[in-house]
Amino acid sequence: MMNEEFRMTKEYPIPKSEVHPRKAWLRAWCFLILSSFLILNSSFCPAQQPAPVPAKKPATDGKVWGALVYATTDAAKLTGSSEKAPENQKDLFGRLGKVFMPYTHFEIIGQHVQDVFREYESWVVPSRDLFLKIDSKGPAPDGGMNLHLQVWREQQVLVKTDAVLHPGSPLFIGGPKWRDGQLLFVLDLAKK
Amino acid sequence: MSAAAPAATDPVEPLDVDLVKRSQAGDTRAFDLLVTRYRSRIYAMTYHLIQNETEAWDLAQEAFIKAWRALPNFKLDAAFYTWLYRIAHNVTYDWLRKKKIQGDGEFDDERTEHRAMPGSRTAPQGFDAPDRAMKRQELGCRIQDAIARLSPDHRQAIVLREIEGLSYEEIAEMMKCSLGTVMSRLFYARKKLQEMLKDTYENPV
Amino acid sequence: MKTPSDENHDLIRWLDGEMTADERRTFEATLQNDPELAAEAESMRQLSESLKTHLPAEMPVPHADFFNSQIQVRIAQMDLDEAREREKAAASTASWFSWLRMPWLAGAAAAAAAFAIAGLVWTQNSSSGTSTIASTYTPNPAVHAQVFHSSDAQATVLMLDGLEPVPAEKKIVGFRVHRAESDAEVATTTLFDENGSIIAVVSKDAKGQPTLLQ
Repeated sequence: MMNEEFRMTKEYPIPKSEVHPRKAWLRAWCFLILSSFLILNSSFCPAQQPAPVPAKKPATDGKVWGALVYATTDAAKLTGSSEKAPENQKDLFGRLGKVFMPYTHFEIIGQHVQDVFREYESWVVPSRDLFLKIDSKGPAPDGGMNLHLQVWREQQVLVKTDAVLHPGSPLFIGGPKWRDGQLLFVLDLAKK
Repeated sequence: MSAAAPAATDPVEPLDVDLVKRSQAGDTRAFDLLVTRYRSRIYAMTYHLIQNETEAWDLAQEAFIKAWRALPNFKLDAAFYTWLYRIAHNVTYDWLRKKKIQGDGEFDDERTEHRAMPGSRTAPQGFDAPDRAMKRQELGCRIQDAIARLSPDHRQAIVLREIEGLSYEEIAEMMKCSLGTVMSRLFYARKKLQEMLKDTYENPV
Repeated sequence: MKTPSDENHDLIRWLDGEMTADERRTFEATLQNDPELAAEAESMRQLSESLKTHLPAEMPVPHADFFNSQIQVRIAQMDLDEAREREKAAASTASWFSWLRMPWLAGAAAAAAAFAIAGLVWTQNSSSGTSTIASTYTPNPAVHAQVFHSSDAQATVLMLDGLEPVPAEKKIVGFRVHRAESDAEVATTTLFDENGSIIAVVSKDAKGQPTLLQ
């Protein structure tokens, strides 16, 4: 019983000064500089006044890249989006073409890189027409991530899944059809 | 089905032989269609033989995985289902044999027979419910229960004959025994089942 | 003289249609003269009918979608393992040949090449595994989720069949989200573009559904 209480205390938010000793030190140092400069009648320490204490950034289990892709057989139907896939997505359109077979033309309509929080839900929103909710369930071996994933379309959840993502092994999700084509979602976990 | 698979726009479902050829070329989607097409039959077969949902599920999985591995050796000279069925049967049979070797008393022939001795009742006496549907359900449960009480060899013979409709020759080949043994096992199994189901209506509604 | 065992076998052979036409005629004649045997035959026939009714040839697989997706996952893993094995075999074969056939200088070069291949194998081995989907649930029964792995595309695929199409006249707007800020207390996430302007705010309504405010 005593041990449990001890553990519980450890998990409660720890006083900020303990979490960021470096920031506290930096503040102290700035104050010193500031006061010296004030005395010398000039100041250029960037964090001059007692700044509002920065909020503690929540713990994350990784980072994901999510993109909404439009696939079509008719080049004329492309929306002319100027979005480009990041460098590390090798031959994304070629690979999509191997899976979503009748389509020959692809474009990225929106994209979003998002931290996946350990304790909160994370949203990956490259558009309101198809977006994801991710709840991390912790790391998996080989740099992977266990997660609960929901695919949303406006205010409707299309599917809920439990998955394990690995870097370099993206998820291709087939979404609803639109204008002689289809909306696709690509989710990729970044390497640590 | 999304537009990725030709079946979506075809009024006719793709033939087994086409799906098999595509699978042999490495198309996992085509194989997935085959799995969907035959999983209920394979699962039913493994379930009837071993009478355990979880194990039957695992064995059905094993059967499909083994089939995928063995695809390069499938010469398309027989029906895919027949070939798949044999694989599933072998997987189940191996599993049953292993259980017997490991001395899992549950499958000891003698013990099974002891439990199914003549005169022993396998179901509570008397029916309170005049409802026919309920009686049918009762019968279904009793039949499942009775099948479970047969030894694996007798159960196999009955399942292969009554459910899969195999001929005696085919059963003999599957079970690697003589025709005479097949007939003895079938006869014995039927007598045993009759005894175990004696108190129930044998005429299904 | 027929043994009891032969007689038993006759009975079931007749029941199961395994007799020739002649044998059948003979047996049926016997049945006519032996009411006890006839009764037993009838009883067995009824049993057969019961068994066929209550032991179905098809049974719905529990967690059928998961059944399929698990198979795909294992196939993908098998393919990956096999590819690694082939690479390893190729690397060791290369160095073996170089040792035997080439003069020592060229041999050293070949050995270096073999090491390069081995190095490639090593990096492939150290790269992570395949993404997998363990289970899916679609609240709308008309929507069907299908999972498979494509080694060609090096991706794991989740197909959603039966979705309502988006109307053609609808304009799909893409976001390029540069940064997001989440406020756990109020359960909102604010999406910013690269200029720091707010693209949208994701929050939850009274029913817990996400709403996007732009």
